Amino acid sequence: MAEATEQERTLENNLLNKIAEAISAISDAKHVDQVISAIHSVAVLLFPVDPSLFSGSIGDKYRERFSSSVVPSTDERNDWLETFYRGAAFPTFARVLLLDVASDWLSCFPISVQKHLYDVFFLDGPVIEVVQVLVPFLHHVGDGGVDANSVQTNVERLLILCLLENAGVLKITKEISDSYQGENFKNGSLKPLLSRLSQILTSIPDKARLKAPPLLSSHLYFKNITNQLLQILDDRASSTEANSTVIVLSFVGEIFSRICRRGLSDLLLSEVTPHVLAHVRRLLNSKMGSIEMETFQLDPTPQIWSKTMEAVTDPYAVEKMAEQLLHQLYAEHASDVEAFWTIWSLFHRNVIHQASVRSIFVDKFLLWKVFPIRCLRWILQFSVLECPPVTNTLAKGDVTQGLLETTQRLASVWSKREFLQSVPLEQQAYITAALGLCLENMSKEELDRTKDVMHSILQGVSCRLENPGDLVRKMASSIAFMFSKVIDPKNPLYLDDSFTGNAIDWEFGLQMAVGGVRSITNSMENEDGENKTSAALTEVNDSSRRNKEKNRKSKNISDFLLADPDEIVDLATLNCETESDKDDVDDNASVSSDNSSVTSLEPYDLMDDDKDLGKQFTHLVDVVGALRKTDDADGVEKAIYVAEKLVRASPDELTHIAGDLARTLVQVRCSDITIEGEEDSAEEKRQRALIALLVTRPFESLETLNNILYSPNVDVSQRIMILDVMSEAARELANSKTLKPKHEARGPLISNISDPQPWYLPSNASTPWKKVPETGSFHLNWANRFERELQSKPGQTKKGKSRRWSLKSADRDQNSSDWSQNKFPLYAAAFMLPAMKEFDKKRHGVDLLGRDFVVLGKLVHMLGVCMQCASMHPEASALAISLLDMLQRREVSNHPEAYVRRAVLFAASSVLVALHPSYIVSTLVEGNLDLSRALEWIRTWALQIADSDIDRDCYTMALSCLQLHAEMALQTSRALESTGGSSSSSTGRINISLPSGISKLTSIKLPSSNVHL
Amino acid sequence: MSKRPPPDPVAVLRGHRHSVMDVSFHPSKSLLFTGSADGELRIWDTIQHRAVSSAWAHSRANGVLAVAASPWLGENKVISQGRDGTVKCWDIEDGGLSRDPLLILETSAYHFCKFSLVKKPKTSLQEAESHSQNCDEQDVGEMCNFQLGDDSERSVEDSGFLQDGDHAEGTTFVAVVGEQPTEVEIWDLNTREKIIQLPQSSPDESPNASTKGRGMCMAVQLFCPPESQGFLHVLAGYEDGSILLWDIRNAKIPLTSVKFHSEPVLSLSVASSCDGGISGGADDKIVMYNLNHSTGSCTMRKEITLERPGVSGTSIRPDGKIAATAGWDHRIRVYNYGKGNALAILKYHRATCNAVSYSPDSELMASASEDATVALWKLYPPHKSL
Repeated sequence: MAEATEQERTLENNLLNKIAEAISAISDAKHVDQVISAIHSVAVLLFPVDPSLFSGSIGDKYRERFSSSVVPSTDERNDWLETFYRGAAFPTFARVLLLDVASDWLSCFPISVQKHLYDVFFLDGPVIEVVQVLVPFLHHVGDGGVDANSVQTNVERLLILCLLENAGVLKITKEISDSYQGENFKNGSLKPLLSRLSQILTSIPDKARLKAPPLLSSHLYFKNITNQLLQILDDRASSTEANSTVIVLSFVGEIFSRICRRGLSDLLLSEVTPHVLAHVRRLLNSKMGSIEMETFQLDPTPQIWSKTMEAVTDPYAVEKMAEQLLHQLYAEHASDVEAFWTIWSLFHRNVIHQASVRSIFVDKFLLWKVFPIRCLRWILQFSVLECPPVTNTLAKGDVTQGLLETTQRLASVWSKREFLQSVPLEQQAYITAALGLCLENMSKEELDRTKDVMHSILQGVSCRLENPGDLVRKMASSIAFMFSKVIDPKNPLYLDDSFTGNAIDWEFGLQMAVGGVRSITNSMENEDGENKTSAALTEVNDSSRRNKEKNRKSKNISDFLLADPDEIVDLATLNCETESDKDDVDDNASVSSDNSSVTSLEPYDLMDDDKDLGKQFTHLVDVVGALRKTDDADGVEKAIYVAEKLVRASPDELTHIAGDLARTLVQVRCSDITIEGEEDSAEEKRQRALIALLVTRPFESLETLNNILYSPNVDVSQRIMILDVMSEAARELANSKTLKPKHEARGPLISNISDPQPWYLPSNASTPWKKVPETGSFHLNWANRFERELQSKPGQTKKGKSRRWSLKSADRDQNSSDWSQNKFPLYAAAFMLPAMKEFDKKRHGVDLLGRDFVVLGKLVHMLGVCMQCASMHPEASALAISLLDMLQRREVSNHPEAYVRRAVLFAASSVLVALHPSYIVSTLVEGNLDLSRALEWIRTWALQIADSDIDRDCYTMALSCLQLHAEMALQTSRALESTGGSSSSSTGRINISLPSGISKLTSIKLPSSNVHL
Repeated sequence: MSKRPPPDPVAVLRGHRHSVMDVSFHPSKSLLFTGSADGELRIWDTIQHRAVSSAWAHSRANGVLAVAASPWLGENKVISQGRDGTVKCWDIEDGGLSRDPLLILETSAYHFCKFSLVKKPKTSLQEAESHSQNCDEQDVGEMCNFQLGDDSERSVEDSGFLQDGDHAEGTTFVAVVGEQPTEVEIWDLNTREKIIQLPQSSPDESPNASTKGRGMCMAVQLFCPPESQGFLHVLAGYEDGSILLWDIRNAKIPLTSVKFHSEPVLSLSVASSCDGGISGGADDKIVMYNLNHSTGSCTMRKEITLERPGVSGTSIRPDGKIAATAGWDHRIRVYNYGKGNALAILKYHRATCNAVSYSPDSELMASASEDATVALWKLYPPHKSL
């Protein structure tokens, strides 16, 4: 031993001497050939250098020296090589090669020399050492006259050659296993080396310069590295040597985890997943049909993979990898079986042996993350059911403890009201689906064994069912359905008419909803739809007309018989023709017998229905009477159907009966009187009638409705209906150009807040104002100009071609919407104030701030609609302050339910839209700061919502609210300037000076400027 | 094959302010008479579809119950019955109604049974028309001093006028339900006298067996079958659903009694051939029956069950091809009179239909309804030869 080391030491000394010579030769060199010669003197000791390969490009003087140089024997050379790379020789010489030679001489090297004499030092040596030497030079800051650029370029080139093109990582693992076997490294000494090595390997893209070759960019680099690692794993799986495998796998695992730490788990898994999946598919195909646990347990490849994953000790990396795996499998459209085995192959050891990994799957992926529903099935199958699936359905194993525990946990989370209020919709849908899928796999006995699942589910369903969101209710009914199927499979509970079969769409159509702010364009779509249908109708008519003409050409009755049964036949022609034909026959026959002629009497369509029958109401008193007779369902229904018409006719009796009628209409129960499936039409009629009533006799009916609104003997649905009706009526009063009922479907709950007509336009005009189009941005354009067509003066007559028997002919002829007038402001106070007065009083059956939050939301929304309808009128300004007072209440503005917050945002936006700038200015000038404080509150509050709200609709609405606020502030500042200017110029002496407090207290901030008012 | 949808009315006559109770065509001119529940009698032009005249024939409170014109009555006369206990005969002078009725029959009946004029086979039409001219001239002078004839009963045999064909044509009879609603009375319009009552109460047996328990008479049809040598027959429908056929030669006992309906008979109509007819009642049945005058029997030919009960008017087209009923369910139903199958369900009216009537040339049908409209229909045009 001692002898050996002695020999090694002398060898090392010799080597170092040689290298020292070479280095000094290089530093003294005046010509490139001298450098080459020096390098060659070292290389020839270590590598089997063949001078003929590069001698052509070297001067004659040196060529001979090359060829004549002493070439050591192979054994000797191996000794040299080993010594060179193990000791200090290589780092020393490499430093010279990489710095001095590279910066001064390398560019002068002939290509062949560079390749065979220079690169060999880095390519033929052990990669472990080479990498450790090379990488630090990647960002070596050049000092001492070294050309940093060429040095780095060279290092990058060498790294690419070494690691990527020559499969350096593969070589590393070979070296590792060799050294493991050869020298029996203690784990203690190898582990730090491996971890350092993997650290160096994964840091290369970060250290590389920006202008480094693309192969060193993290994407391509790691892709290449990953592929090499996958190849290593395959090799390991096919070979039988077990000793070094563990250490190699731990190296691979280390690199995997470092790649994930660098945030490139998606890249990693995009390589790994198809690889594993392909193998799984191969296995599945080879074992057609009979897939058993053993198939996979005995196969070496999954073993290798799972061991690799086990070697990934970083839980964060495991989580990222698992997450990415699921996404990748989803993207690859893996089937349930394939996906299961892929996940199993990678993670089954981790899940069994590491509690933290298990909790990633069972807790994190179920409760905190949101995956596509198919991924959810895989997660459940793998981590909860823990058994292979049967073709594309979840299968249940023998061990159900995990399922019970998971279900219990899911159910308890799902049942909480706080969860409902504080979690985005997507996640709610996800957890609902998880719970539903768990329930699907439970039996009644298992359900009984759990402690409180049943209780939690009932609680969760009940608190969801009263939620205003459709989707939330649908979740509740889906879970209820599943639950009922567990309890009694033969008698499932359908809370919702919409789903009939057993299959439930656990995604709840959320894919569509994710797209953006929905529900705003509904009305537009409706219109389009109507247009389409009407177009389709005309088409049908056209085609039938064509048919008819065709038929008429060939005047043959048989044609009528053969014709399309749906066609519209012109009765007159048909009748006359057939009758006259018949009469000819008849005339001949009738002489002899009457009966023969009788046979030719051809019956008409004898279809009959009784839609038109029944008593028609002609007096509102009768209507009220009929509505009160709740035992006569037909009468009530008919009364509801005629009520609107009668109210619209506005007879004298209406004034006296409006209150009674409103009350009875509210109290009628549509569901009791109509047959199943037609509740909606009756409900709609009832609401139309109420709207008509509110529009025709606002004061009388509002008095009653406001009384009922907070009275204990109506339920939530009636309160909601009252509020809905009030907002609809307000809208109709505001656009009183059409006295007809609006035939649009019930609009979205929260409508678009941006009006087609900007708020700063004068609204009460006979012809609409149009903005004169101007170029330039909004902020630059300080003078918006508007124009409109003026109506002719009363005396002025227009000559026309046609006469009309009407006084209003001139107006009528034009667009009928022209003579619209907003009638709402007159009634605005009656609409709003009584409703606002008592909203926060908790009394028997009424608890707006707590349980009945839906009513609160509707109320706030209705008030917002009222504000919009009164927009730009002085009434709006008066009412805005009290409305804002209400909104500023913490219980209202920071209500835990997103529904209420949305309504408040809508109302606040409506206020911003409705206030006339001049009014804001006048309050400012008067020194009344209530309004400006309230407006400022809107801004801060909307900012807060936009920052931190969990509800998507809420923060988008908050953003538009902020936008409106900015616009309002801008207009106000303009108005302020103009008042100041005009008053001083016109009166001269009266100088309205702003109270000094204003500038400090109010802060209506302008967009894109620093001006504070 | 898809059926043709039922046609719409060719014209709708509006103008009445109340329920139109009855409708009747002029026997030869294109005129239509309608009477409404507020006592208004209107005359319409069926070509121009316009009201020609309007008059308050009966008091507003009582209204017109029935209105009728007939070739035997005369070219320019129309009779109206009010619920004020009178039957009035009016003269049509230049399109309008005479200011005062030609004659008033004080029947003192305040019920709902429409009166009936005589229906005769068409063969006697021509003679009747020529005769009616004479009637008019005679009536003018007698108009004012009309007195209610005494209630003394005359036997048919005594009067004997019915046996004489000429006499029969010169006389116009009208059958109404009398003061006692169980009794049918036949009045002579010329003499303004009640000539007979059915059943004829005999002094010895006061409660009449034949109508006992049948309730009020609800519908009556007077007709003159060709086999009966000009003797009038009466078909009367009663409250209990029975129909009695009388020959006035034997006023004590009806020829036959049948019970087709389970509810009051509301309308009876006899075809112009007088060998059968159609009846409707408050139940859900329409019955077509044959009358055999040689045996004096009435037999059911066809029973039609309706979806919704209540038929307040029936009419058979003069050519005997089709019949129509006016229903409480707002529908006019048209049937093939020969075979009895349904031909059409006409939906136009928005309230109970009160009456339906065919024009003498069979071209038009008019329906009267409580919705204050009269609709004119053209269905199954008749043979031009007729």
